[in-house]
Amino acid sequence: MDSTRRKLYSYVAVVALYLLVFGWWLFFFYHQSDFLLRKVTAQGVTVPGDVEGALRTATDESMRMFVFEGGFLGLLLLASVALVVRSLQKELAVHRQQRNFLSAVTHELKSPIASAKLYVESLQLGRAEGEKRERYLRHAHQDLDRLQKMVESLLATARMTTTGPDVQVRELDLAGEAREIAAELGHDPQTSTAKLELELAGPLPVRADPLALRTILRNLVSNAVKYAGPAPRVKVKVERRGREALLVVRDFGPGLKGADPRRIFDAFVRGGDENVRTRPGVGLGLFLVAELARAQGGDARAVTGLEGGGFAVEVTLPASGKDSQS
Amino acid sequence: MSAEKLVVVEDEEHLAEVIADNLELEGYEVEVVIDGLAALQRLRREPAPALVLLDVMLPGMDGFTICETLRREGHNMPILFLTARSGLDDRVKGLELGGDDFMAKPFDLRELMLRVRAILKRATWFNGPSPVGDVLALGPARVDFKRFLAIVDGREIQLSEKETMILRCLAEKPGEVVARAEILERVWGYDAFPTERTIDNFIVRLRRLLEPDPQSPRYIHTVRGTGYRLTP
Repeated sequence: MDSTRRKLYSYVAVVALYLLVFGWWLFFFYHQSDFLLRKVTAQGVTVPGDVEGALRTATDESMRMFVFEGGFLGLLLLASVALVVRSLQKELAVHRQQRNFLSAVTHELKSPIASAKLYVESLQLGRAEGEKRERYLRHAHQDLDRLQKMVESLLATARMTTTGPDVQVRELDLAGEAREIAAELGHDPQTSTAKLELELAGPLPVRADPLALRTILRNLVSNAVKYAGPAPRVKVKVERRGREALLVVRDFGPGLKGADPRRIFDAFVRGGDENVRTRPGVGLGLFLVAELARAQGGDARAVTGLEGGGFAVEVTLPASGKDSQS
Repeated sequence: MSAEKLVVVEDEEHLAEVIADNLELEGYEVEVVIDGLAALQRLRREPAPALVLLDVMLPGMDGFTICETLRREGHNMPILFLTARSGLDDRVKGLELGGDDFMAKPFDLRELMLRVRAILKRATWFNGPSPVGDVLALGPARVDFKRFLAIVDGREIQLSEKETMILRCLAEKPGEVVARAEILERVWGYDAFPTERTIDNFIVRLRRLLEPDPQSPRYIHTVRGTGYRLTP
């Protein structure tokens, strides 16, 4: 971060130096004929009017040339500085993102380890009996589940960014899969607090990878629950649109709140400062959704400005069979 | 005697639960707060807790800012940072902002309990009656241990809790050499700081405040390679 700032200040210093030198030379050329005439007349020589006129015309011409060339060079310099400043700003944003990512991953990995370790240690020291013992075991198990999911997400991201997604597509019923996964999520401690509404209009055959589809649905619902506010309500809708199957997961929370909808599918993008984190996660859920959707021939996009508030993610997948509506 | 009241500020539900349960088993009364802003509001209110166990990454306001704000407002309750960030910079920042100790997650339960006890013991020493009284005279200057004040040439200068503790530590052994390690042990707990040399920065500021000529100190003497000696 400091080195980026140093670079930025160096470029600003170069421009300032250029303007200083250019200004000095401009001043010199503007007064060049006066300097020469003053030196000559100081030696007692009288300069004829036509010679003085010719001298002033010659210096004016050289000054015009200097202004033109210097100005052109200055414009080039300013353009290059503008490019450099822009790239440095991007570098600063990447630094900030990396720092945020490191903080988020550190927190997400160490917190469940810390609590699981304390639960186990309390049990070993005989500090929890009866119902408390059962609760400690259950909570330690949930911590390990959370840790496992985080590690799996990180590994999946590493795989995708190196070798690309590995998907084996076959024909599936999207509506049936959505129903099944929604039932599973109803028992998951992280998502069970949400009111999950399903809008599934009969079987919808798609060409998809079952594991990838499961990851997409799980990530979308978990993400929606995280951002749906204190009484989370999440709607999952499946429908056919022409040759595509559409999966929409919507929350009714405060929406994106100024976040860029184009960037939310980038890896490790999370809004705000991780020091004042309000939600768990490291910013990989939607990245995996988009990558897996694309690998199966589909896509993912954010839908904002919804009536009734909230935010939705629309995933398209290639539908198989005939469109009954067309 | 009523149980000492501790506040645990931690947004991770499981971690807060298991820490609070274990502290209660040790006989403390524990209050859990899960949000940074709510924690600041709570800690500004009386009665002040005997100790705060403070996470750094919190919703609403981070732990460092909470600590800094509390110290600036004159709240001097001991603070133990519990955080996933274990870098040296974070440790130093936490302690320089007025934290009393720093534990990186994941930590050992028994070590946590020992550190809590050690901080409370230090606080008991500092809040209890001093054998040298509440006011230390250094020539024309006065140091009020209870009000954390130095009175120099009629001006009242606010001292930090740590500066006051260092002076009291030295004042309780007038004319004797107090080792840096002993000062660290009594004021911070020995392993809280990365180096004993950090204490020298506090001594430099105290000399600037209290010595007529900080270059040739009359009251706070350095004993090379060992520590410091106070001669009132």
